[in-house]
Amino acid sequence: MSSTWLFGVAFGASALGGMLGMASGIFIVPILVSFGRVDIRIAIGASIVSVIACSCGGAPPYLRARLTNVRLAVVLETATTVGALTGVFLAGLIPVPALFALFAAILLLSAWQMAQRRREVATVESGSAGALDGVYPDDGRDVAYRVQRVPLGMALMYGAGLVSALLGIGSGVLKIPAMDTALRLPIKVSSATSNFMIGVTAAASAGAYFVRGEIIPGVAGPVALGSVLGALVGARILMAMSSERLRLFFVAILVVLAGQMVLGAFGIDLVRGAA
Amino acid sequence: MTPLEARLARLLWGGTWLASAVIAAGLFGAGPRAVTLGVALFILLPVARLLLLLWTFLRERDYRFGALAAFVLAVIAFGVVLGARG
Repeated sequence: MSSTWLFGVAFGASALGGMLGMASGIFIVPILVSFGRVDIRIAIGASIVSVIACSCGGAPPYLRARLTNVRLAVVLETATTVGALTGVFLAGLIPVPALFALFAAILLLSAWQMAQRRREVATVESGSAGALDGVYPDDGRDVAYRVQRVPLGMALMYGAGLVSALLGIGSGVLKIPAMDTALRLPIKVSSATSNFMIGVTAAASAGAYFVRGEIIPGVAGPVALGSVLGALVGARILMAMSSERLRLFFVAILVVLAGQMVLGAFGIDLVRGAA
Repeated sequence: MTPLEARLARLLWGGTWLASAVIAAGLFGAGPRAVTLGVALFILLPVARLLLLLWTFLRERDYRFGALAAFVLAVIAFGVVLGARG
C-alpha cells in the first residue's frame, strides 16, 4: 500500500478517535490487515510505533494539566514492560488466527467500554498514605487522592503489557479500567497516567521488533506520522455531530472490525471475496 | 507544573516533532533511511523519558524510584538484546 494511503488511513482513524478522546491505536491493525492487505505482523510493527508516537505527542497536555502521576507510572511500568517482553516471546509462538481472535475480543471490549460511562470510585479518605498519592486539579481546586491496591494493579498491568506487545496496541482499554477500578484513581488521572505509560510499554516490544527487522519503516513511518497529526487535529476539532452519535458510530465501527477479525481467524476474507 | 513535569513535556513534545519531521523528510524525498531514522527516534523517545526520570530521581536522592526507573530501562534493553539474538 502506498505511503499516502497509509498516512491517510492513520490520520483519519486518529482524528476520529481524537474527537472522541479515544486512542485510535486499536483500529490500525484491523484496518491495515482487512483493507490494506498488510501482513498482520507488519501491521503490528507499524501500529506499535504509532502508539508510541501518540503517547508521546499526547502526553504534554496532560502533564501541563498536572494530571499525570509520573511516579505511579514508573512503578506500573516495571510490570507492563515485563509483560511486554513476555508478549514478544509469545508473539512468535501464537498462531495468527489466535491473534485475530484476541484482536476481536479487545475490539469488542473497547466497544463495550465506550458504551459505558466511567464511574468515579476514587477515594480520598481510606487506605494508608503512600509515596504514590497525589493531587490533581479538579474544577480549579486541588483534590488529593490515594492509590489503592498496587499489587493488583501491577498484575493487571503485566497483562496489559503482554497484550500490548502481542497486538501492537497501547492497551489503554485494559490499563484505564485497571486504574479506575483496581487502583481507584480519579478518572482524569487514570487517563493521563495510562496515556503516559503507553509509550514506555510499547517501546519495550518495539525495541525488540525493530532489531528483529519486524518493523518495516515504509509502513510504520507513514502510519506513525498520520496517527500523530490526526490525533492533534482530532483533539482540536469540534464536530457538529453530538458526542452521543459519535460514540454510537464508533461502537458500530468497532463491532464491524471485530467481525472482520473473527472472520480472519477462520481464514475468511470478505473484502477480497471468494478466491 | 513541577519542573520535572515541564521538562518531561518539553522532551516529549520536542521529540515527537523531531521524529515526525524526520519521517516526513524521508517521505518527501530524503529517502527510506530518513524514514527508518524517524521511526527509531520514536522508539527511543520513551527511553529518553526514562533516562530523564532516572537522572531526576538520582539528583533528588530518591534511590527507590531511581532503581525502579533503572529496572524499566533494563527490561527494555533486555528486550533489544533478546531480539538481536533472534
